[in-house]
Amino acid sequence: MPISSSMGRRSVLVAGMTLGAGALIAGLSGCGSSNGVADIPLAAATGNAARGRRMRIARPAASAAETLDPASSLSAYEYLGAIYNRLVKLDQQGTTVPDLASEWSSTPDGKTWTFKLRRGVRFHDGRVLTAGDVVYTLGHILDPATGSPQAGVLAPILEPSGVTASDSHTVVFALTSPNAEFPSLLTAYQCYIIPAGSAAAIGRTGIGTGPFRLSSYTPAGRGSVEAFADHFAGPPALDGIDFYSVQDTSARVNALLAGQIDLISQTNLDFATARVVASSPVATVARAKDAQWYTIPMLATSKEFSDPLVRQAMKLAYNPKDIVATALQGNGSPGWDNPVPPGYADALDYTRPYDPEQARALLKQAGVEGLRMPIYTSSYDSVFTPLAVAYAEAVKQAGINLTVTSASSDSYYTEIWMKKPLSVSYWFTGRPVDQLLNQVFRSGSSYNESAWSNAAFDQLLVDARREMNDERRRGIYQDAQRLIIEDGADMTPMFGDRLVGLSRKVVNYSEFGFEFDYLKIGLS
Amino acid sequence: MKATLRGAGPAFTIGIVLILGNVLLALLAPWISPYDPVASDSAAALQGPSGAHWLGTDMYGRDILSRTLNGGRYALQVTFLATTIAVAAGALLGCLVAYLGGWFDDVVMRVVDAILSVPTILALLVVVSVLGSGMWVIVLAVVVVYTPAVIRVVRGAARSVKSLDYVTAAKARGERAGPIVVREILPNVSDVVLVEYAMRASWVVLLISTLSFLGFGANPPAPDWGLMVAENRTALTVVPWATLGPVAALASFVIGLHLTSDGLGKRLGVDRAMTGVK
Amino acid sequence: MPLLILRRLGSAVLTIVLASLLVFLAIQALPGDVVQQILGRDATPEAVARMRSELGLDTPVFLRYVQWLFGALQGDFGTSLVSGEPVGPNLLLHFRNTLLIAVPTVIISVTLSIVLGVVAGLRRGKWADHSISLISLLAMSIPEFMVAALLVLAFAVGIPMFPAVVLDGPQASLAQLLPSIWLPVIVLSLAMAAYIIRMTRTSTIDVMTSEFITTAELKGLRRARVVMRHALPTALLPTLNVVAINIAWMLGGVVVVENIFNYPGMGNLMLEAVFNRDLPVIEAIAVVSAAIYVACNLLADLTAMALDPRQRFRPRARRGAGAQPGPKASPAISTVERSQP
Repeated sequence: MPISSSMGRRSVLVAGMTLGAGALIAGLSGCGSSNGVADIPLAAATGNAARGRRMRIARPAASAAETLDPASSLSAYEYLGAIYNRLVKLDQQGTTVPDLASEWSSTPDGKTWTFKLRRGVRFHDGRVLTAGDVVYTLGHILDPATGSPQAGVLAPILEPSGVTASDSHTVVFALTSPNAEFPSLLTAYQCYIIPAGSAAAIGRTGIGTGPFRLSSYTPAGRGSVEAFADHFAGPPALDGIDFYSVQDTSARVNALLAGQIDLISQTNLDFATARVVASSPVATVARAKDAQWYTIPMLATSKEFSDPLVRQAMKLAYNPKDIVATALQGNGSPGWDNPVPPGYADALDYTRPYDPEQARALLKQAGVEGLRMPIYTSSYDSVFTPLAVAYAEAVKQAGINLTVTSASSDSYYTEIWMKKPLSVSYWFTGRPVDQLLNQVFRSGSSYNESAWSNAAFDQLLVDARREMNDERRRGIYQDAQRLIIEDGADMTPMFGDRLVGLSRKVVNYSEFGFEFDYLKIGLS
Repeated sequence: MKATLRGAGPAFTIGIVLILGNVLLALLAPWISPYDPVASDSAAALQGPSGAHWLGTDMYGRDILSRTLNGGRYALQVTFLATTIAVAAGALLGCLVAYLGGWFDDVVMRVVDAILSVPTILALLVVVSVLGSGMWVIVLAVVVVYTPAVIRVVRGAARSVKSLDYVTAAKARGERAGPIVVREILPNVSDVVLVEYAMRASWVVLLISTLSFLGFGANPPAPDWGLMVAENRTALTVVPWATLGPVAALASFVIGLHLTSDGLGKRLGVDRAMTGVK
Repeated sequence: MPLLILRRLGSAVLTIVLASLLVFLAIQALPGDVVQQILGRDATPEAVARMRSELGLDTPVFLRYVQWLFGALQGDFGTSLVSGEPVGPNLLLHFRNTLLIAVPTVIISVTLSIVLGVVAGLRRGKWADHSISLISLLAMSIPEFMVAALLVLAFAVGIPMFPAVVLDGPQASLAQLLPSIWLPVIVLSLAMAAYIIRMTRTSTIDVMTSEFITTAELKGLRRARVVMRHALPTALLPTLNVVAINIAWMLGGVVVVENIFNYPGMGNLMLEAVFNRDLPVIEAIAVVSAAIYVACNLLADLTAMALDPRQRFRPRARRGAGAQPGPKASPAISTVERSQP
């Protein structure tokens, strides 16, 4: 073989390898090296959004059975806030504020509530919003055939016949029992208002009053929304949003790093990935403060935790600050076993003691010194396992010996949660206090994950709903929180910030509870 | 064994060294690891390589070297168990099928063909979702998927042995099928079985890691090569060794198996490349 | 000869049917409630009960299999438990997308590996042989998920030449998918070529050392001519089977690659179906894969028969390896037997 051709081939090979290595180095250094990683920013960028831009959002692939019907348990969460509005919404302090309703009031007994609707609100198909649409929507939510999760909250106090339109822009709710917190129950994301008569089609048409109107939609697939010029609060900053479904978390992150998308929704980045993203020249990280509420339910019906002394010991045995440091790398706030987020106006300002020696003594008193048992976790959320590991590590000091046991993530919520004595779980924050306490802590509620039952606590909830004075009601809710901290079976070690990956071009990103601020978010 | 191995070449020696090295490190991991592989330390998260942590630490402050050392234990254990059972069962059945022939052969080979025609990964995923992802379930799943392949190969080899003089003689002596298969046929296909073992093992260990990578194998926080890659690959640029460490270990083990089976094949006259596929 | 082909066809069909039965029975044993899985954590008991009866999950297993088989024979693979859409068209769409990466993979890897394999075989023991063998050894030993991760980092994130993931759904047009196929194709080609290179190299060495090539060379024919005319065709014969099996293997291998690249092909559909316990989809994928596997092998066998007259007369039932004539009587096993995975 002639030397030249051999050399030629060799140099082609060398050139090819050099290109590959060069690209790899570019990839590595483009994202920062292990020494120079950027810190995770504290706040999202603000600024002026450019006109005429479209945003690309990647979301986890939902079930192919997902729908745009907001009342359904399979609603496509990202779309809802863009295309619909509720009567009222929740602000960051947990206070109920106007959305489609401009004002509301109740009779002194708290049984009859009257909502005045905003004037001149149009649906995407041009129809004007009237009280009839609200009556229809509530009927749809309460209809057992819809299977709406919010029906479980509303049905005990409201019958479909109790919702009436007194004029074209006034809706009257006649409750079956007094409820001072009724408006807050309408802030749930199942309560978006749909046009009258649309229940059969709403799953595909997505006609609402929101800042964007639907232009295309495939369940668990692609979809687009376009700015709705007639939106009552003015047109949104963006011209449109394209939604993409990407199942794998790493694939979503890679798409962001490669500049294919602008934002990853419903994805709490783990700490290492967040630093990769924050160091990228095209992407960065924003945080939704305290967005994830992590819990460790101790099943109160299990033999281990039926004794309140043992439950108390499990709490005294650990310091939530340590858990935040280890499991969240500081990206969150300690919960001190109070489920109400610290930023809420109704939150009780109380730090329970941390006392492993006292915990040890209580266990001895209960006859279970040196308690040994598994704590269940799964890869369902990126923080579950770190939380379980950190908690198990922390309670060792009190002589409690927990084995971290990992279960399959796809059956975690059917086989483990609410079945095993000790597991980890989480909720999104952004629930009104009344709903939070009633749904997750009241005896017999289907979401009561620890199966805790305390008659005094249940009575406080009933009292609060009857109490029309805001100050006094706040006091009752705070008493209820104290009971949860002292006797409750569901520990709240921490609230975690959700670390959201987004493009450096995104401005005015803000997410609270179950909703983006779709009106202001834009691209620079 | 010693006599068989002479003449297998230096590549074979390297292969054996790689395999033994990996097995030894996995066996000794609990004693030689500098740290507890699952103990997290928030103060030491995401550190680069240093004297205290040779390969650095991951996002929970766990020592990557300790995790890599321990990460092979699960995969190697499953690989050893599954390959041994699959090859043993496949070799026995393959010889038996070859010896008996007739309708028995037809029926077994039909089932073998049917199982082989289903993609390995689909069959594994189905078994793992039926029974969960415990270690024995994965062993069982791999056995189910790979035994038929071994049957097919060994049967082919055994058919040529079947008509040899001593088998015919044993048959004439009135010996039963069992003893004939075990005593006369099996020893004569042992070279094929040996090469098959090394080759299967190389595929099994990759398959196990793939399963872990896809989330069907080992569970966090357990250290496992495939799982470590799945957990850390997006952070490749921040903690490179958390991904590269386990992959290097895994690849060295697989290379060892390939070199060994090549060397064995060369020495024993079994053409390993004839077996072309995962 | 026609009878032989007919018998092979018959057994191929039987294999596919048997495979479908095995998979059907295995999935019946799936624990966990498919309905609960579909409706999610927020499902109300009433909704679960309603869906259960809608899906007809109370019919006996055997009856369901027979019903399914008859449907499948008419091209009806039932409806997905999750989306409620017919399985057939959806599967076809994903299959088309997988073909879009499978066909270039086969073309690239077969061409590349035959060239490299023959070169390595001809230059046995030389620099070229050593480097080709080393690279193929590495390609076989580094898991695909790692190769894929590195390629994404280098050519999607580092230098944005290719998209890192596919954002389009299965309905995307071929033109939309085209830019995203290259990284998956490279990953799969590397894995596949490694095996074919080794096969081609070995059979090239076998042929080149065999008697009839030595004779041809002694007759004074030019080496290039000997290689092209005589050695290559004989050497490629055993490669054919390895190629066939690799094509079938690729249907499984795409799972990892499609997962990493979010590629809307059959592999992703398979993962999703297993996660969701979507029985009709799993079943259909298994049968389609089995059919492809069987067809590839059948095709390879028939091609080998057509190319190599000696194989036509080999008695089927008694093909003992020792008796098989060939370029090099493999010591223990015939090529066809050995090449099954």
